[in-house]
Amino acid sequence: MTTAPLLALALALLNVAVALLLSPLAEGVMRKLKAIVHSRQGPPLTQPYLDLLKLLGKEDLRTTGGLPYALAPALSLGSVLLLATLVPLGAAPPLGFAGDLIVLIYVATTSAVALILTAFASGSPYAAVGGSREMMMLLSVEPVLAVALVVGAVKAGTLSVGGILAWNAEHGPTISMAIAAVALFLALQAQAGKLPFDIPEADQEIMGGPLIEQSGPRLALFRWALWAKQLIFALLLVQVFVPWPHLGIVPLDVVLTLVKALLVLVLVGVIDAVNPRLRIEQAMGYYMRVALSALAGLAFAVIGM
Amino acid sequence: MSIAELLAVAITVLLVGAVASLALARWRRLAGWVSTAFVAAAAIAIWVVVLRAFSSPAEGEATVLVLPGLGARLSVVVDPLSAFFLAIVATIAVVATLYSVDYMTHFAGNTLAKFYPILLVFFAAIVGVLVVSDFLFFLVCWELMTLTSFFLVTFERENAASQRAGLKYFVITHAATLCMVVAALLLWRECGSFHFGDLLAALAQLLVTRPVLAHTVLGLLFIGFATKAGVLPMGDWLPDAHPVAPSGVSAALSGALVKMGIYGLVRFFCAVLPASAAAVGWGIAIALAGTASLFVGTLTALGQTDSKRLMAFHTIGQIGYICLGLGVGIACLRSAPTLGALAIMGALFHAANHACFKACLFLGAGAVLYRTGERDMNRLGGLAAAMPLTAGSSTVASLAIAGVPPLNGFASKWLIVATCLLAGMRQPLFLILGLVAMFISLATLASFLKVLGAVFLGEPNPERQVSEVPATMATAQIVLAALCVLLGVLPFWPLRFIREAVAASVPITVPSASELLGGPWGLSVAGGGVALAVWSPLALVGGMVVLALVAYGLQRAGGAGTREVAVWTCGEEHAAATVRYPASSFYLPFKHAFEGIYPRIRWRVPAFPAGVRRAFDVDSWAYQPVARLVERSAGAVSRSHVGVPQVYLLWIVVGAVAVVAIVLGLVG
Repeated sequence: MTTAPLLALALALLNVAVALLLSPLAEGVMRKLKAIVHSRQGPPLTQPYLDLLKLLGKEDLRTTGGLPYALAPALSLGSVLLLATLVPLGAAPPLGFAGDLIVLIYVATTSAVALILTAFASGSPYAAVGGSREMMMLLSVEPVLAVALVVGAVKAGTLSVGGILAWNAEHGPTISMAIAAVALFLALQAQAGKLPFDIPEADQEIMGGPLIEQSGPRLALFRWALWAKQLIFALLLVQVFVPWPHLGIVPLDVVLTLVKALLVLVLVGVIDAVNPRLRIEQAMGYYMRVALSALAGLAFAVIGM
Repeated sequence: MSIAELLAVAITVLLVGAVASLALARWRRLAGWVSTAFVAAAAIAIWVVVLRAFSSPAEGEATVLVLPGLGARLSVVVDPLSAFFLAIVATIAVVATLYSVDYMTHFAGNTLAKFYPILLVFFAAIVGVLVVSDFLFFLVCWELMTLTSFFLVTFERENAASQRAGLKYFVITHAATLCMVVAALLLWRECGSFHFGDLLAALAQLLVTRPVLAHTVLGLLFIGFATKAGVLPMGDWLPDAHPVAPSGVSAALSGALVKMGIYGLVRFFCAVLPASAAAVGWGIAIALAGTASLFVGTLTALGQTDSKRLMAFHTIGQIGYICLGLGVGIACLRSAPTLGALAIMGALFHAANHACFKACLFLGAGAVLYRTGERDMNRLGGLAAAMPLTAGSSTVASLAIAGVPPLNGFASKWLIVATCLLAGMRQPLFLILGLVAMFISLATLASFLKVLGAVFLGEPNPERQVSEVPATMATAQIVLAALCVLLGVLPFWPLRFIREAVAASVPITVPSASELLGGPWGLSVAGGGVALAVWSPLALVGGMVVLALVAYGLQRAGGAGTREVAVWTCGEEHAAATVRYPASSFYLPFKHAFEGIYPRIRWRVPAFPAGVRRAFDVDSWAYQPVARLVERSAGAVSRSHVGVPQVYLLWIVVGAVAVVAIVLGLVG
């Protein structure tokens, strides 16, 4: 059994590497797609990497001092990378022994906490508006995520994400899991900060919201965290709720999962390209309905369907 | 020394301290230091009692006084459940008193003779509540605790709001105490004794033989304890009383006083119900009351702009979590002992954690009040630079109450939510309650991000010169914030003691600590040999540190320079104060969606018929007429007393003549 910790470590590194290195590519694909839908040429697929590189070297302009403020971007990206180790990628989550789905949900909010506190600390009224909106979107979307994961938990009889994945891969599709998957997909649009739910950033009205005072490497890290987060939630969706075909051979499963996640993100990108932005209360009402509808999935799960 | 002697020492020290601080009340800081010394000495004695209670097999009761005619006796016993709450009270008492040393120099218009002595008696009363094992003396201590806390709440005599809040507290809690008295008498009629053991045995038997009476008794006890704990709707006194008390007292109220309600619930409900058939019904009822409390309390808190009132509403919300855990535990302790025991342990752990972070938050709000004179968050902002210690400890406590891992609030909420969801697989209602609890946890986060944003972050107000609070106040806050981190990262250690407390108070054998909690590095809920839910703080903290360092490495990789610049407001120059985002603007659309969730009931006090009111107005028909009569006759007499000697001599002559005439007339 000495290989188990090593395997977990290797998988953890793989998850972190995927979240860190492939998330800009996924973003690049979505940008290209948006351009195509808009009949534009669009940037090259590597543009997000170039953006990050350029930002990492630019001057860091800060409106306020203090150690917590200086560390906030690293905490934000770090917590997203930690989230990556709690999400399955081709196999059970590498840190699944240390955290279940409740831990996953709470860790998922941690990067937003860092971002919102940074926004309030920066002193810009636009950032304060953006931070407030970010929190409201979180309040709207998190119940959907929680209901969807709890549906899985009821089906599998465990709160462990790996356990849900294993149960689902073994038992095949069910009505309740399908409802949960649809709800989670709808939530992904907001998790990724894409139209019609990019309300916290809303470049045209509050100029990037929480990010308005962030520049250089700080902006790079916050952007990176956002892109990594959208990839991680896509992975969570396709792995936990649509794990088929589950071959049991880790490298193949990893590739398959990544392809499926990219397909999901493409769909998110299309929705992003053809929709206008909603107002915050419309978005809240929408996600409240999604969460309540997802409770139907929970009802199905309770009666065993 | 035996446990009883140690307790006697602790209580004597507190009472002597009360007298000493009364004598020294004129020297404000000296009185504070003396009180702190006495409280600390008592706390050491109590901590020895606590450690003794956990380490050695239970010492028997020590009886001080017997009232055979009533079936009551003043006897003292410290089982692990009492010890657990004693530990909370001792810690909070020291911190709150230390904090008050400098804080109470502020109230120039009010003598401290009505603060420290009462505070020390209040702590002594709480210790009494926790250690007596007889309901009659329990009620005596309970009443003493209520009265002293009433005087602490109404400390500021010139403040009308605090007098009103105190009156409300007085009336509501006495109505609740009345319920407890009735419940105690109903049970006493059955068994002829006030001893806890006899009462609980009688209650257990009544549940079988006369369920209606038993449920009435339980209902009355629930009202009594839940009112003190602050469960809605009976906890309506709490959001008024907590903010108006001096901040050290607010911390003691939220940290220690409301926990006594939880202690009562565990002592009576967990001791009887789990073994009976009514367990599921009562468990669900308590869990529902808790969920209603956490939902309404927290969402109401979200809309507050008064910092201390906001925290008082969060106390209602967090007590809701504790009740949810208790309810789940009571409901499934018999069918699934592991799950049930973990739920109750989660609830008790949350009680301890709540004492730490809520006391810290009240002290933080008090520190801001001390330096700025403001509780209205709309008029605060940017204090982090001037008050880094207060801002830091308040941030830690805020994140802890919001359940951000790996702080202590997360560990206990995790236990409560995980057991609630797992219990939901047998009883689907608990699934919904667990989901509500998770959602409200996020609302708590929203509320405290607002506090941090509106009070500590952003641009400071240049007109206000603020500096950090004195060392005593800062120390108190930092100790509590450090406890928030420690209890969160090492939850296994406190939970081992809490398991003892639960095992001592429930009628069902509780699995061993290692079976319940997994290894020393984390918590897990096992079922059928498989871990169904896990939380290992150390592994995740380690991972987080490594990954954050990686991220920081990336941030520094480009070697970018740093420069301080002004906030960019689209090219126009604005004073920071004019473009501030005030506390009332946060989450407006969300707040609108939940407006009116906290019902404002206007109480119409029923007026008695005029005749009855006149009959009770003894002054107007008895006292005043008599007084007037006396006054009038006295006036008539005084008219003859003119102060001239000749007139008095004339009266003597006239009198002598009259007497002689009468005597002659009688003889003749």
